[in-house]
Amino acid sequence: MTSLSFTGIRKTFGTTVALESLDLALQPGELVSLLGPSGCGKTTALRIAAGFEIPDTGVVSLGENVITDTPAHRRNMGMVFQSYSLFPNLTVAQNVEFGLRNRKVEKVKRNSRVGEMLELVQLSDLGKRYPHQLSGGQQQRVALARALAVQPEVLLLDEPLSALDAKVRATLRDEIRRIQTELKTTTLFVTHDQDEALAISDRIGVMSNGRLEQLGTPEDVYLRPASPFVARFVGSINELPNVNGSGQILVRPEDVTISADENELTMRGTVTRVTFQGPVTIISVRVDVVDQLINVHAASGSVHTEVGDRVSVAVAPGRGIIEAA
Amino acid sequence: MAFTHTSPKKVEGVVATAAAPSFFSVLRRVSAWSGLIPFFLFLILFLFIPAVSVFSQALHDADGSFGFSAMREAISGQNLDAFIFSLKFSAGAASVGVVVGGFLAYAAATATRPRWLRNIVSSFSGVAANMGGLPLAFAFLSLLGRQGLGTKILNAFGWDLYAGDFKLGEVSGLITVYSYFNIPLMVLVTLPAIDGLKTSWREACANLGGSAWTYWRRVGLPILAPSLLGGFLLLFANSFSAYATARQLTDNSKIVPLRISFFLGGDISIGEDAVGYSLAAWMIILMGISMAAYWLLRRRAERWSHS
Amino acid sequence: MKHSGTQRTIGRLLPTLVLIASAVFFAFPLLAMARFAFQNLQVIDLGWNNLFEKWSISSVTASFSDDFFAEALTLSLKLAVGTALFTLGLLIPTAVWVHLRLPKARVFVEFLTILPYVIPAIALVAGIVVVKPHARWFLNSDYSLIPFYVVLALPFTYRSIDTGLRAIDLKVLVEASRSLGSTWVATLLRVVIPNLRAAIISSTFLTVAVVLGEYTISDVLLKRTFPSFMAQYRQSDPRGGYALAILALLGTTLLFVAIGVLSKSRSARKQQPSRSQENEILV
Repeated sequence: MTSLSFTGIRKTFGTTVALESLDLALQPGELVSLLGPSGCGKTTALRIAAGFEIPDTGVVSLGENVITDTPAHRRNMGMVFQSYSLFPNLTVAQNVEFGLRNRKVEKVKRNSRVGEMLELVQLSDLGKRYPHQLSGGQQQRVALARALAVQPEVLLLDEPLSALDAKVRATLRDEIRRIQTELKTTTLFVTHDQDEALAISDRIGVMSNGRLEQLGTPEDVYLRPASPFVARFVGSINELPNVNGSGQILVRPEDVTISADENELTMRGTVTRVTFQGPVTIISVRVDVVDQLINVHAASGSVHTEVGDRVSVAVAPGRGIIEAA
Repeated sequence: MAFTHTSPKKVEGVVATAAAPSFFSVLRRVSAWSGLIPFFLFLILFLFIPAVSVFSQALHDADGSFGFSAMREAISGQNLDAFIFSLKFSAGAASVGVVVGGFLAYAAATATRPRWLRNIVSSFSGVAANMGGLPLAFAFLSLLGRQGLGTKILNAFGWDLYAGDFKLGEVSGLITVYSYFNIPLMVLVTLPAIDGLKTSWREACANLGGSAWTYWRRVGLPILAPSLLGGFLLLFANSFSAYATARQLTDNSKIVPLRISFFLGGDISIGEDAVGYSLAAWMIILMGISMAAYWLLRRRAERWSHS
Repeated sequence: MKHSGTQRTIGRLLPTLVLIASAVFFAFPLLAMARFAFQNLQVIDLGWNNLFEKWSISSVTASFSDDFFAEALTLSLKLAVGTALFTLGLLIPTAVWVHLRLPKARVFVEFLTILPYVIPAIALVAGIVVVKPHARWFLNSDYSLIPFYVVLALPFTYRSIDTGLRAIDLKVLVEASRSLGSTWVATLLRVVIPNLRAAIISSTFLTVAVVLGEYTISDVLLKRTFPSFMAQYRQSDPRGGYALAILALLGTTLLFVAIGVLSKSRSARKQQPSRSQENEILV
């Protein structure tokens, strides 16, 4: 188990600033996700860790060693790419043992390690198949086995689930987490899918425009977003005028209270739609003062209302984040 | 009663177990192929009939009856010399094409600056690969013919091009001339193959501890190999069967296509023209083997590019 | 990827050298031919002092007044148009049928389209000569060359159309059109063909290039096409013959440049794999 850290990492491509100045430290054995929209710099950060990009300034360290200038093939890291990274001319077993061969591990040990890895990803009897004979999910499992076969100090995952079907994605996501916790490998996981990040991470780094907006546990990021960007990107958000000052208040649908009474802390509105979604009912309210639609999540059965009703909505005390005008 | 699973064949409304195909399924299949009838008919009339006719004329003995003596004669003596000669320069021209063309394709595919380089290379290759025939022959006659501009320039540097065996109609000359369309043809065939080499493979290899040499040896070249070999076969077939360029360059009867035309065009007796057709027949057989191998290699390469 | 300094220098130097050497190799023969055609000076007499003298295009303009020039050029152009139309009329329905109704036959049909490499022009014409006595009524016409030219161009043209079909979602388009009430013919004309514009243009230009350069078959069958005329004219006037060849080259180059420009503007609009499309116009 080793730690991985970025200190003051800056990277530009021509005139575009991919990373402004990234400071991020992964504790040994933890899984940190970098979450953000395309172009936020998360993939660049990962590739700098892997050695496929050289930062303009800054230091990357693996444990106690500075590896900023170490070539990619000498860093002891495992990487899983988004898709199509298995060598098509080699069988599954040959793919998995590839890194071991490069390290001159002898045949007997290689074979047993390959067997171990395939069992870890539950593909034991597919050793002799070729990549084009596997499904997308199976290919990514082989990619994972291949990356882990060499017992890397850090595991890097570049949106490994993005190219897969929704169902496969969910299963594989949990498996990756299971394997990672079992092996206690320090892992950096890049994704644009917040559900993934929330589900499997020890900590999440939300990024935007080359900057780390917030680094915290999933709960922190969801319940206590540090900036309007994070509030909007993770989970759904409503935007209401700030009745106690200027600007807007960003509040989650489940943090909005709804009732029939009226007082000076609430805003009046009309219900436009009621959607039953099992445990939660979504009530859409058109708020008078801003003529805007907001969504309120209420536990089903707790609120009885119909389209056309006049209601009062308010931000639950202590919730929401204020965005200056 | 156990739950059983029956698999219906292509039969309307009737679920059958694996029994003999019914009338309707056969009809369906036949009608599916019927749309290709015009195409098949066209090929039969204008490709197969001429090809079969070549063989029908080739399988004649000296007295005009059916036999293999013409076919045998077509690959003995001077005719055999001609085949060997053609094989030699075709293989040579193909080799040059593969090496230079392959390298050019790699250079063009991986060039990041200038950005127009790749387009120029591929557009020019499109033109040059189709440029066979007369313009090519004329161009090299004016460059490397006895009175050629290039010949004169080389003389000025002290190199007498024609001092040795060099002649445009001999192996070295033919290889030089044919490279003009072989190299671009190879570029055209190889560019998509090189594009198909995903960067993620290169990066995954490095990530797993492999150097550039490791990558090419264990991943890159093995994946490109079918395309490269296929390219060789294509170039070989192209060079062997080229007629128009050769015709304008020389009247060397050791070039098989020229030899065939001499047999067909001259004042010949019945027996002799069977030999001419046999030459063509053997050429078809040789081309058939080359293209069959090319086809198999291409299928293999495509399989990997779709994985 | 990080490489050592020297590795990077060699890595960049070698391809550059090869590219330059290739450029020279490909330019020189053309320059030599142009010089011979348009400079009225023998190589023996050529020196640095008279390098720019006696240039004129009279060699090629003289050929225009030859009796057979106009005849040969018109015939070749007519054959080119005929071949292009025949090709499209034969291959588009065939390719569409294969894509829609018989995907399993795709491999087989593709294999058939490389058969012209197995039976090259010289063998093909040998076979034609055999059949000639039995089909004189057909082969006497100059236009009988058309189907054989279609055969010669088959590998390129089929590939071009097939690639074009693969780039559009044929099945979906056809089903949408049919569900909105169009007949098969209308669907073909109003939906499929307009979406195949780039492929149609490129295969047409390829066909024209092939026809304007085809010499083997027309020579043996004694048809007076433009390439045959070129060869013949060269016997009596070498400089004129070469000049005509240059003209032919310029023509085909313009065609290919046009293909390149058109396929680029097409693929700039769609998010399709443009690179592999333009490179797959040949085999």
